[in-house]
Amino acid sequence: MKKQKKEFKWFTIADYEKEQDYLREMHNHGWCFQKVNGLGMYHFEECEPADVIYQLDYNKKGLANKEEYVQLFEDCGWEYIQDFFGFSYFRKPIGIMNEEEGIFCDDASRLEFMKRILIGRMTPLLVLLFTIVIPQLITNGLLGNHSLSSFFLGMFTGILVGYLVVFIWYMKQYWNFKAKIYKE
Amino acid sequence: MNAHIKKVYVPMTETGFYILLCLQYPNHGYGIVQRVEQMTKGEIRLTPGTMYGSLSKMEKDGLISFVREEEKRKIYQMTELGRQVLELELKRIERLYRNSREGI
Repeated sequence: MKKQKKEFKWFTIADYEKEQDYLREMHNHGWCFQKVNGLGMYHFEECEPADVIYQLDYNKKGLANKEEYVQLFEDCGWEYIQDFFGFSYFRKPIGIMNEEEGIFCDDASRLEFMKRILIGRMTPLLVLLFTIVIPQLITNGLLGNHSLSSFFLGMFTGILVGYLVVFIWYMKQYWNFKAKIYKE
Repeated sequence: MNAHIKKVYVPMTETGFYILLCLQYPNHGYGIVQRVEQMTKGEIRLTPGTMYGSLSKMEKDGLISFVREEEKRKIYQMTELGRQVLELELKRIERLYRNSREGI
């Protein structure tokens, strides 16, 4: 039986490049990525060390038409691993590439990918804001303060603020990239 | 053709141009990848993330349309709007080429 290993890693939506590098690094050290679950528990299995490129895509239409979506990647030599929170994980060994490649070949499509994440992740933020935080604020304000509801309010506000920080950080990354490719 | 389509697609990315050029005839994503590789003698290798995103976007904007599915591969073909966009783009490229040959 091959050795297994688990590692907890926290990557935000702004860190997909770091996540790709991490999985490649692990494979280089003889740990083949099996799956990720929970809040970021990465499962690995011992393997021959190899240089393998890992890539993440974020495509809701692709997830809705999965067979066809995965088929295109597999035709191009990319192995499909799994989906996790809207991201799809692919890998391809450097050995079968002519030169190092990724799943995107121009900046315009890289920007489109970032935009899909931006829009996809904005929805839960707005849902959280309008279904929990704002109603809680109103109820709390009108019905006075009892400890249970202020505990939940504090918790939800905490989550929201954390989410907002990551989201704004990601938006900054998006705008920087956009400015870089359209600088002329 | 409305202003939005013109703004988004003219000028076009090299990827977008080759996709549309190939879809004058029905083809699927991987078929286009192979065709372009052959056409450019291996210099341009389109990748699946870019291809899937471009096909979805062009279908949504009405430049190409879905024809049928064959063994889990969706086959598309250029529409009349797609033909108009390609023609505009070809004119632009021809002018570019002509001017570069004539010198300043």
